[in-house]
Amino acid sequence: MTDTAKEDLVMEHLVTLTYHERLTDNLNRFADGLLEERIIGAKCPSCGRVFVPSKGYCSLCVVPTTEADEIEVPDTGIVTGFTIVTPVAYYGQTKTEPFVYASVRLDGADSTIGGQDVTGVPQSELRAGMRVKAKWKPREERSVDGMTNRGWSGVDGVVESFEVTGEPDAPLDEYKDHLF
Amino acid sequence: MPATDIAIVGYAQTPSLRDANPSEVQLLVPTVAAAIEMAGIGRREIGFTCAGSCDYLTGGPFAFVSNLEAAGAWPPISESHVEADGAWAMYEAWMRLQEGDIDTALAFGSGKSSPSNPSEVWAQQLDPYYLAPLAPDPISLAGIQARALLDSGKATERDFAQVVANSRHNAASNPNAQLKDAGASVDALLAEPYLRNPLRKHDCPPISDGAVAVVMARGDRARSLCERPAWIRGFDHRVEAHQPGVRDIRSSSSTALAARKAGYDGGPLDVVELSSTFSPQELILLESLGLAPDGPTKVNPSGGALAGNPIMAVGLVRIVEAAARIIDGSANRALAHATSGPLLQQNLVCLLEGE
Amino acid sequence: MEFAGEIGQVGGSFAPETGVCSHSSVSEPRITTTKLEFPYSRTLGPVVGAFLAGLREGKLLGIRGKDGRVLAPPLEYDPETGESLGTDMVAIGPEGTVVAWTWVDAPSPKHPLDHPFSFALVKPDGADTAMVGAVDAGSAEAMSSGMRVRPRFAKEPHNVITDLEAWEPVA
Repeated sequence: MTDTAKEDLVMEHLVTLTYHERLTDNLNRFADGLLEERIIGAKCPSCGRVFVPSKGYCSLCVVPTTEADEIEVPDTGIVTGFTIVTPVAYYGQTKTEPFVYASVRLDGADSTIGGQDVTGVPQSELRAGMRVKAKWKPREERSVDGMTNRGWSGVDGVVESFEVTGEPDAPLDEYKDHLF
Repeated sequence: MPATDIAIVGYAQTPSLRDANPSEVQLLVPTVAAAIEMAGIGRREIGFTCAGSCDYLTGGPFAFVSNLEAAGAWPPISESHVEADGAWAMYEAWMRLQEGDIDTALAFGSGKSSPSNPSEVWAQQLDPYYLAPLAPDPISLAGIQARALLDSGKATERDFAQVVANSRHNAASNPNAQLKDAGASVDALLAEPYLRNPLRKHDCPPISDGAVAVVMARGDRARSLCERPAWIRGFDHRVEAHQPGVRDIRSSSSTALAARKAGYDGGPLDVVELSSTFSPQELILLESLGLAPDGPTKVNPSGGALAGNPIMAVGLVRIVEAAARIIDGSANRALAHATSGPLLQQNLVCLLEGE
Repeated sequence: MEFAGEIGQVGGSFAPETGVCSHSSVSEPRITTTKLEFPYSRTLGPVVGAFLAGLREGKLLGIRGKDGRVLAPPLEYDPETGESLGTDMVAIGPEGTVVAWTWVDAPSPKHPLDHPFSFALVKPDGADTAMVGAVDAGSAEAMSSGMRVRPRFAKEPHNVITDLEAWEPVA
């Protein structure tokens, strides 16, 4: 055992799994809207909450939502919470510098969009409650290819970041029930 | 002694579909709702929920968490998940009901096989050292098993084709089945080319998406909810060694043991629903249960897994198909089977009776 | 219900009473492609490690189970009793016998060979159990249960089971 080379003690095994899945109708419409700078959510016919994007159902009432329940929400909102992530080098990691990971509650929405970059102020000056507006990528650079039914990568291919507008912060009451 | 006064009182399933447009959780939302509605209970009444699914199949870590939204998890519910077929989720929920402090439980299973490549995904359940890097897909393994069965003299290729013809015939009257052919003929099937000698394409399951849910209740609650509940008289599962080479893959000792432990005494059975995804496996399973393929027990009246194979739901679908026939009065005693792992490594048996 | 309607369109008849069938005005549905990659470095331990080291030297190794039968491939724990089997390996092979087989006409990119081959259970001489492996027989007609095979080892081993590249028919 003592003269076994280190590389002989392990077996390298790269597991690669590829999935091809049709985007659900509700996410397909969401993707269509994003390419046109429109953000579409759905309003639950039972509780009235607005989810962005639509899941095709209200996860609290467990009732379906249809295209008829879909509404557009503005591209402005509030940072409800954030963290600054120091990237760790792991297989597939693309980040090299500390980055913002923020939840944004768009005006009129009850759900938040997670994992967003917030720009316009230094990271050290970020606050929950700051009002932001989407900075859209130029039309020709927009892509919805990263969107999946899993719910990850919602607006990432079309919105570059959410930019602080400079308006007064939203009071805590406006977002305390929508932190995540 | 496990309680024998727990029954299925509600169920629902999606059809088995080659490529469902809705996402997995979108398949589950109406399915779970329909099972609860059939049971006639309020959603918030459910004492315990258990779900079965496979993140590797869905294509993302913690994918199963989304599925829970179909159960309605706010305010918080008491729930669990198994990375396994819904049949095992039902088993866990049945075990929970044994505590006696809750009256009702919900179990469901779901899976979409359409987005992935079976050769890739199913290698992940295999021994990572000796098997997974070879990527022996389920059809290749089943082909080896089929050859072993033929060599033993216990079955012929004609027997395999007969299993398929039976499945296609039975599936023709099942609105949820995917592959149906009331006119399937053994000779026509035998004329098809091999896919994995000695298996032909029809000896193998289709690729399927689907979801299924059941509601169970205890004792008098069950009687008040359902005119003729499907009583779970026994429920057991057993597993064999993993390496195919150390097992006898021509028979299913774990199915025989699970059936015995579930209380199946070899007496009359009206219906047996087996999760044989390859035609030779149906013969292996029947033998392990001491049943003849053409005897008095109806084998896979739903068409079985050869007619539709929504992995992670297919085993629970067998239980539902058996329970449905008890509830509608067409059967008194039924046995349902679910399987997991390569080549029938792990097997579950559920024994159901009408009162 | 939007998705129950979709289910209906592909031939199902699921719970029509629980929702409304609606036609959505989507553009051509998008197919999303997700690729998951897990780069494992799996430690081998003394049993699997010894087996793979043997492959590098063109040797096959098994291990004795608690009941005395020789297990191939070598396992760390007895499949019947669960007891640890230690690390004393048993030389097996070099040749073996095909116990059962199937034929792969159209290999997938994940399969061990890129031309038609057999997946088989092969019992190395001296072993009491069979190993899953590829048999590079050229055609299904050349395959039969009971045929004799010999191992072909990879020219460039990578410390993985495919260092036993394939079995070949003994002439």
